[in-house]
Amino acid sequence: MAVKRQLSMVMDLNKCIGCHTCTSACKLQWTNRNGREYMYWNNVETMPGTGYPKNYQDMGGGFDADGALKMGTEPTAEDYGVPWDYNYEEALMTGTDPWLRPNVKPTWGANWDEDEGEGDYPNTYYFYLPRLCNHCDNPACLAACSRNAIYKRQEDGIVLIDQERCRGYRYCVSACPYKKVYFNEEISKSEKCIFCYPRIEKGLPTACAKQCVGRIRWIGYRDDEAGPIHTLVDKYKVALPLHPEMGTKPNVFYVPPLSPPKIGDDGEAAAESRVPLDYLESLFGDGVNAALETITAERAKKAAGDESELMDTLIGYRHAEMFKLS
Amino acid sequence: MPTKFVTLATLAILAAPTISTAQTLAEANVKLLEPYDTVKVSKIPDGIYLRSINDPDDIIWERLPEYRVEMNPAFAAHESVELRINYDAETTQLYMTLARTSERFYVRLRWVDDTRDTATTFGRFRDGAAVQFSLGDDETSPVMGDGPENAVNIWYWRADDNSVQNLAAGGPGSTTLLDEQPVTGEAMYFENDGDPNEWVVVMSRALVSEGAHTASFDRDIVPMGFAIWQGAEQQRDGLKTVLDGWVLLDMSAD
Repeated sequence: MAVKRQLSMVMDLNKCIGCHTCTSACKLQWTNRNGREYMYWNNVETMPGTGYPKNYQDMGGGFDADGALKMGTEPTAEDYGVPWDYNYEEALMTGTDPWLRPNVKPTWGANWDEDEGEGDYPNTYYFYLPRLCNHCDNPACLAACSRNAIYKRQEDGIVLIDQERCRGYRYCVSACPYKKVYFNEEISKSEKCIFCYPRIEKGLPTACAKQCVGRIRWIGYRDDEAGPIHTLVDKYKVALPLHPEMGTKPNVFYVPPLSPPKIGDDGEAAAESRVPLDYLESLFGDGVNAALETITAERAKKAAGDESELMDTLIGYRHAEMFKLS
Repeated sequence: MPTKFVTLATLAILAAPTISTAQTLAEANVKLLEPYDTVKVSKIPDGIYLRSINDPDDIIWERLPEYRVEMNPAFAAHESVELRINYDAETTQLYMTLARTSERFYVRLRWVDDTRDTATTFGRFRDGAAVQFSLGDDETSPVMGDGPENAVNIWYWRADDNSVQNLAAGGPGSTTLLDEQPVTGEAMYFENDGDPNEWVVVMSRALVSEGAHTASFDRDIVPMGFAIWQGAEQQRDGLKTVLDGWVLLDMSAD
């Protein structure tokens, strides 16, 4: 879907420490109230893992090779994790309950499998994957909506749900292969990440990016050749979309994680990387190997004291320069 | 089951002893309407009132002729519907009573529904019913109209909050909530011992109502359409059963 300009985000997974500050920032800003309590418009997953909602990667949606919508399923409340709260008042203040306990029995949550990862010692591995709406070029949610309630803004490509037009059919929820559209039971309508458009319109970055302590996030226009998105996505091709095979053409890109070598039976470093290349390719497509090689080469240059535009960009010396919103 | 309904049902059995148990009680006397049939709207005499404005279980309904139409899956107008539709679903029956007083127009709908689906929550969809009126003649597409110049006025009852919305549409996907909400309604779900469970819904509106896209009853023939959503079958939007065409209301009854 052609728009005049496309705002995009890049996240460097080498820098993400899994602190969930982005998630907290998003939740405080948008989803801690009014039926949105269970939603994480932004969340951070441990990969390999089940993701959020649980096993979302197996729930279908997106487009087939011919561009036709694929059937998807709607996650259950259990797949998301039923939000719970604690009886702080009764247990800690009034003393009317001797136990501090959750008000519902917690059985699953967005980070239930946090830091589990895969592999056998000493070759265990995991990395963090922050996720938000990809504000796709070809949004499956938009295609699935029979009411034209979902639209993509011409000026920045942000994908929004018109709350006046939404009638809660939930085709979008099942169509999004990233499961980043959520049904609000309180208002019987669907809601999603709005890329903090009220902040963007004031020249501010999204809350998740602004609060990121690891400085892993860049925001800018894809067509801005002097901006960070063009540098990382188009010039050096080190930032890749998640699950490009879903056919939605995401506008959130990830710098895949480098990892130390595997340790062989002899205790020596093997040629393979700890995080298997084929696993990374299953997430980010064919460009992973080239991206990792480019980063490795540029990192070596920088370590040798040479100039590297790519490394200077990835380091993000000044946080404000990571956002180019005009 | 409301006590009153038991009484009426007993009377109906006495009056029509040949009804098979597989049918709902009134079925044997119910005339089947085909698309584009004309049907007279019954006149409720002045001075006769329902117990409450839209009482689905009022004794008046037993005194007025009931009709039925055959309901089939609606034509899939969108890819999301096409992905989910079951064209092999069995034809179902929708029973209706059409009436007016000198001030209001009433439609009473009755259909079999094994499950009472009143939740709009994760993975769950509510039951619903709608009637539509062509703002023009019967040349308007019964598939929710065709364009802003050939629009329809829709009354949509939803089971989750037992409310009725006054809507307009000019084709699939264009349904819009109108500023004016003059339509009221009420529903009851009957768990019938030995017979299928049923929803009974009454919707009504003052004959004279203001506002854009509000159907006029001040004409000889009013084309009317019908739709039912079964929440248990995940029906919403175009996933519904409909009468494939218009029933033509003859408003001239006195």
